[in-house]
Amino acid sequence: MPGMLETASLLLLLVGAFFFFAGTVGLLRFPDVYSRLHALTKADNLGLGCILLGLAVQAESLGAALKLLLIWPLVLAASASVSFAIARRADALGIRPWRRQGD
Amino acid sequence: MISTIAGRGLLFALFWWVLAEGRLEGWGLGLVAIIAALAASLVLLPPRRSRFSSIGLLAFLGFFLLRSAQGGAQVAVLALRSGLVLRPTLLELPLTLPPGAPRTLMINALGLMPGTVAVRITDHRLQVHALDERMPIAAEARALERRIARLFGAPP
Repeated sequence: MPGMLETASLLLLLVGAFFFFAGTVGLLRFPDVYSRLHALTKADNLGLGCILLGLAVQAESLGAALKLLLIWPLVLAASASVSFAIARRADALGIRPWRRQGD
Repeated sequence: MISTIAGRGLLFALFWWVLAEGRLEGWGLGLVAIIAALAASLVLLPPRRSRFSSIGLLAFLGFFLLRSAQGGAQVAVLALRSGLVLRPTLLELPLTLPPGAPRTLMINALGLMPGTVAVRITDHRLQVHALDERMPIAAEARALERRIARLFGAPP
């Protein structure tokens, strides 16, 4: 049984790392500030959720597990509002979103 | 009023219990923190008449968890695909939610839904940056708005 929990935890951690990686690739590859915000906020949110869940599964007490899970909504609220603040500022500065040319 | 204070106090006490990982020796400091948090919450978000719906909360959380996971997975696929396949656009959507907590929640939740980030908000309009103009962004935003309206007990 502990073997199964450890496997589940390991899988969640790997999936979480994958989403952080994908979010970072998006941050580097996407063409403008607005689309980079999509990559960073959404992929990292999912990655963090998976990593916290993976760690909570291994936690020594219920309190410690809940503490790890509590981090998720707090970071979520912070990153979502920062993302809106950056988008609004970019818009106020007159930065036009990148558009696909030609078609 | 009394029930709001009791409910929030209980919530903050639960937070403290979680932060202390269930240990008991720090509860003196905990009590101070709980009272301070309660005072701050009453100043920043005064109790109001409108009925916050628990069923609405569960429905919203279920919707949010599912859609935000989809949003993360979708953007991960877009980032890792070979060749850039984005077709970003700006959309202007009508907004019927009242100012305050409902709108704040809408703006923040939109940034985690598939393909949308809120850019600008005016009286009754919301400008959204969409990652792909072929996605059903307007329907998505309306579904989210409806759930938030139900959560805050506002008429649909």
